[in-house]
Amino acid sequence: MSSPAALLQPDASGSRLTSRGDLTSFFMQLAADIGADSYMLVAIVHDQDRNDARIVSSNWIFDAIELIGKRLIANLALGPLTVAPGVRPKPLVAAHAPDAGALLTGEEARLLDVLGHAEIYSLRLNVGRQRVFVLFSAAEAGKIDLAALMKAQIKCCYALSSIPQLIAAASMQDPLSDRERECLFWVSEGKTTDEVAVILGVSSNTVNSYITHAIQKFAASNRAMAIATAIRSGII
Amino acid sequence: MKHAQVKEAAAALFNDQRNPFGAFSLGSETHHAVTIPDAVRRCRWIAVDINASAFGLYFVSPSPERARLVACFDSDYPGTAVATKFISGANGEDMVRHSRISTTPRWWADDGAAGSRQAFQQLAWTEPTAPLAPGTNGIAFPVHADRGQLGLVVFMGSEIALSDETLCEIHARSFALFAAVARIRPGDTGRTRSISKRELECLKLTANGNTSEEIAKLLKLSVHTANQYLTQSTQKLNAVNRNQAVAKALRLGLIE
Repeated sequence: MSSPAALLQPDASGSRLTSRGDLTSFFMQLAADIGADSYMLVAIVHDQDRNDARIVSSNWIFDAIELIGKRLIANLALGPLTVAPGVRPKPLVAAHAPDAGALLTGEEARLLDVLGHAEIYSLRLNVGRQRVFVLFSAAEAGKIDLAALMKAQIKCCYALSSIPQLIAAASMQDPLSDRERECLFWVSEGKTTDEVAVILGVSSNTVNSYITHAIQKFAASNRAMAIATAIRSGII
Repeated sequence: MKHAQVKEAAAALFNDQRNPFGAFSLGSETHHAVTIPDAVRRCRWIAVDINASAFGLYFVSPSPERARLVACFDSDYPGTAVATKFISGANGEDMVRHSRISTTPRWWADDGAAGSRQAFQQLAWTEPTAPLAPGTNGIAFPVHADRGQLGLVVFMGSEIALSDETLCEIHARSFALFAAVARIRPGDTGRTRSISKRELECLKLTANGNTSEEIAKLLKLSVHTANQYLTQSTQKLNAVNRNQAVAKALRLGLIE
């Protein structure tokens, strides 16, 4: 009988993911290939001044996520540990973490160790303009193959590029209409209401109403904040 | 020339330069501050490793309506190859749109010879595309740098040797190369003066929806000073108003 991992393999060509199930099996297989025990795929959503982690896919036990907290996961992903593709990754070894300083407390490091994440690598993935993060971890330090990890990072980018809708869904949904998005874009380019009105061939009142709607949809307090929210979520 | 011969000849020629820009040893390439000639040399080494005869590195312009590739260098450096004229012209437009939504390498085979096409067709995760330069074979790797710059590293040749094994490694090296180049060339923003920490703080608070009065209160400044910081950062970013300054700072990755 073939192994569960083989059964879960994406389609025969192995070069396109079509469902969440494919994504899970892809990451399970990849983690096994590089000597990791767990993986976690995280998207970061900016909510005003806070960074929120959205877990897209993971085989961490539920308790571990609850105990460690999404705030810490967001910090790990956005912290100095994370490397871009092509850069030699550095592990976070839970046993040495208290020396690592601000990233996590001794208590949190012990928790990670107990929960089977003695060694964690955090990698940045680029899917076009979108950025997501993947954490690979192993129950004992030194188990993960570094050379394989660096190649795996690129493979993750490929795999996620084949299902962009999944990443888009994990990031913020685009609530704007075409006209609202267009108006907001021109405002972000420094155009005034009157200028946008000329560009789009509508009246200034219409432009203002589009922008007001966009501000309301983002629950923003003014234009600058609406622009910032739209850019952060990749809408404009 | 066969791949092995080229490699041998190149090794003999450049042997002393092989380090630190040569062999791919776990990201060791990344941390070197490079100049453009260094980057060209590094790129040439990647090209030699896959038996490509030409290469080029291009930036994707950040503005959504300008879908052109901007050449940084190619294998004819300090001159410009003919292929680059096609790539940075209309032929590159589709590739720009692709690289904004995907990191998948795209290849083309247009010179009639079978060599590269066979290698490309066997690659998982890659996709075929219209030729970036007519009469050539090549593969284009979308790459991204820390501050959100997008780029494309292109290799061309009639007998390119690539396998699933080496594809990820070559792409990783292209990423590292582009990150190094992007650090010396901060994109086509014309940003010359650096923005102070205080100015960035004010911009960030503006992006979070705070007014000048609120910023002044939060940072314990006078409203006048807060406004001054914002005006200065707007000027330094070459923006016409605060809205554009916030947008530019976010797109450049100066604020999160």
